[in-house]
Amino acid sequence: MNAMKATEEMVTLQVPATAEYVDLVRVTLYGIAAKMGFSYEEIEDMKVAVSEACNNAVLHAYGNPATGTTAMAPDEQPRMEIRYIKKEDALSIVVKDEGQSFDAVAAVGAPQASPLMGKSIGEINPGGLGLYLMQALMDQVEVHSESGTEVILTKRLVRSEETA
Amino acid sequence: MKQPDKFQLRTETKEGKCIVYVSGELDLEVATQMRAAMAPLVELTDRELTLNLRDLKYIDSTGIGILLSVLKARNAQNAPFTVEAIPPTIKKLFDMTGITPFFTQKIV
Repeated sequence: MNAMKATEEMVTLQVPATAEYVDLVRVTLYGIAAKMGFSYEEIEDMKVAVSEACNNAVLHAYGNPATGTTAMAPDEQPRMEIRYIKKEDALSIVVKDEGQSFDAVAAVGAPQASPLMGKSIGEINPGGLGLYLMQALMDQVEVHSESGTEVILTKRLVRSEETA
Repeated sequence: MKQPDKFQLRTETKEGKCIVYVSGELDLEVATQMRAAMAPLVELTDRELTLNLRDLKYIDSTGIGILLSVLKARNAQNAPFTVEAIPPTIKKLFDMTGITPFFTQKIV
């Protein structure tokens, strides 16, 4: 991965990898993105995408992604780290956990359509929805799985020239 | 401290109808609570089940997953299930994931 450029600024948040902290990640995102000048709708999109990445981290840490249930905490509390990287023309949010990688292969083979499209009620299941939403709502999604899993979400900032 | 986004669920039963009002943020944190609240209502097949989302501020894929499983369970039992008063930000996610057509099979 590239080193940070001089024009970039980073805010780091490290929290327990539990569902209770995902709303804090969203609130922090809201503050940073609003200050950068993103629109309400863009911020809403990013909130969902970042939460989905955090949900994955929480489920790796504790639970069973197949059932969406959260398990009992192990002795040492797993943590997740969220880095908000403010760039000149974009915001990247890096969500990093120490857990087993989720389906990185599925992540690379980016679904172009929702996993629910073209299915009957009997066939549908929520698997893959979170990843699909990340890809649909952000401009770029990268998944790295080396030690733990790192999801990098990027949204470009399109400034309107007329508005001051 | 006031928590305007805190998830809340209220059930109203009348004249063969059961309306569930959810408000706040429906996400992974409250998924277990939501599933537990919906489970007995899904089984009441002689009643119409309606989920009112008017005051829902936020939903993630976990929440959408719960709606999907309610939808499937009701459909398998041929029991009516309606989702109403969907706020625009949430409707956008429903459209994006492709769940909307499943909800609109029953005209309100």
